[in-house]
Amino acid sequence: MATDLDLKQLVDVDNGLVSRRIFIEPKIYQQELERIFARVWLFLCHESQIPNPGDFVTAYMGEDPVLVVRDSEGQVHAFLNVCRHRGTRLCRADAGNSGSFTCAYHGWTYRNDGRLIGVPNIKDAYYGELQRERFGLIPVAQLDSYKGFFFATFDAEAPPLLEYLGEMTWYMDALFDRREGGIEVIGGVQKWIMPCNWKFPAENLGGDAYHVQWSHAAAVKAGFDTGPTGKTESGGSMVCPGNGHVMICVGPADGDGIAAPEILAYEDEIRAEADKRLGPRFGLIKPIVGTVFPNWAILRAGARTFRLWHPRGPEKTEVWSWVYVDKAAPPHVKKAIRLAGIRVFGPAGTFEQADMDNWQECTRTCRGVVTARYALNTQMGLGHERYREDLKAWASDFRLSESNHRQFYRRWAQLMTAKSWAEL
Amino acid sequence: MRDDVIREVEQFLYREARLLDERRFHEWLELFTDDVRYWMPVRSNRYPKISKAIKILDRDRYVEEELAKEDELALLDENRETLVGRVACMDTGMAWAEDPPSRTRHLITNIEVEPGDSVSELKVHSYFLVYRSRAETEQEMYVGARQDVLRRVDGAWMIARRKVILDQTVMLAKNISIFF
Repeated sequence: MATDLDLKQLVDVDNGLVSRRIFIEPKIYQQELERIFARVWLFLCHESQIPNPGDFVTAYMGEDPVLVVRDSEGQVHAFLNVCRHRGTRLCRADAGNSGSFTCAYHGWTYRNDGRLIGVPNIKDAYYGELQRERFGLIPVAQLDSYKGFFFATFDAEAPPLLEYLGEMTWYMDALFDRREGGIEVIGGVQKWIMPCNWKFPAENLGGDAYHVQWSHAAAVKAGFDTGPTGKTESGGSMVCPGNGHVMICVGPADGDGIAAPEILAYEDEIRAEADKRLGPRFGLIKPIVGTVFPNWAILRAGARTFRLWHPRGPEKTEVWSWVYVDKAAPPHVKKAIRLAGIRVFGPAGTFEQADMDNWQECTRTCRGVVTARYALNTQMGLGHERYREDLKAWASDFRLSESNHRQFYRRWAQLMTAKSWAEL
Repeated sequence: MRDDVIREVEQFLYREARLLDERRFHEWLELFTDDVRYWMPVRSNRYPKISKAIKILDRDRYVEEELAKEDELALLDENRETLVGRVACMDTGMAWAEDPPSRTRHLITNIEVEPGDSVSELKVHSYFLVYRSRAETEQEMYVGARQDVLRRVDGAWMIARRKVILDQTVMLAKNISIFF
């Protein structure tokens, strides 16, 4: 493991300097898996993906494969998706419905509540001595949901989910709870591999409004999106409600990027309902893109999408991206949101396709030992940020700032050096 | 199907591939009808209903189809206007995913031609292997099948519908900034 002293030198947020070594060194990556991904609450799926008994999706927490299943009695579980016998990945489908799961290797069978119920040759080859009750699927340490979003942690000592999310719940509500009934996920997941370190997309969607006006200028000029996060004249702020969760917010009267007329008309119609549900804070600020620490990005900028950046080694990230809609929205609006999501975000999205080269280049140049001696500049707006009671968050004074980058890496370093949750 | 029609369709698809590889995107756009749907649905891993790996509780709701449905998520779901918009992006000098440009090679094979739903239309199946070289040493391959509807308009073939089926569930390419 990298020593604590090392990490404190590598992430110097007080001076806005972040070492490039944290994006490339295998031992730091391994420590991230252990101290971040195996400890914090991670997003798994939305309830609309598993509405009925037996419904399941497979997921990942860090590099650990996970099976999320609603058992035959309706209770949701999350297990390591790994057979207890020789350790194969048990369920190889992305989604489906089942009362039990049988391993393809030797045929061990687990009920959808995790119990081991079938072992071929248990009487003769095992002499009836195998303690089946000890070899059920390994559950996560804690599983909980917030407004239909399921999260889990592998650490029994992690604080409860609501405490972990803290004030970020209001910022999530501003995307997902504008209307009675919340949201639902459109069927299908976009999955693809990006040759970059997972922290580059995490910091980007959590706090980089600065790149929009340049990286995504082509899509804005061609009319795919209005690109509001790059504008500066109408308020807005980078906010951090705590625990490393970060959110890009535009001014309350700003649009959120969508150019489609049927969606704009719908947003006008529901504004009063959203205002009422979200309260006076929604009159001050409009949350638009953010990162729920560490790797769950949530958006309503151009596209209504959320996505996970699954770490796959220092130089590789596997993206899983979904599109969501207000459950109560009419069919023509749901269709327009689906199409906007595909055309603006996702691997072929006119916005998002431009990000991969940049994140790849940011990562790959870290291989240069001399290059890696020079820290990344994370100084924009340093010292021009403060805690705002009205937002219940740390906030930048100007809309363009890297205050969220600093908050994200501050939390990253805290988790990487703390030996237990008690230290945090 | 008559041999001369098959030959004509083959030549049409080969020429289309060359327009893309030579980055003649405005000429390529002229091959599409105004009502085109250009669609690449996402794909997922599913156990078939007969699989002994699972014991399905609700067979009526169970989905074994790998390809997403018409109203579900896709990698591309375009009409003529958005195809034009994607080409317009590349004309801005700021489309960074293609600047410097990708080098592509569209290999089109396994062409089958069937009668269409009307006398002026054909159903055409083809396979593709698209190679992309990018920047210094990057290379990616996109492999799959296409299901096209070609329509005869003013004596020339045009693409009225294209369904692109990619053979990966987790796409190994970092993005899609090219056409198929």
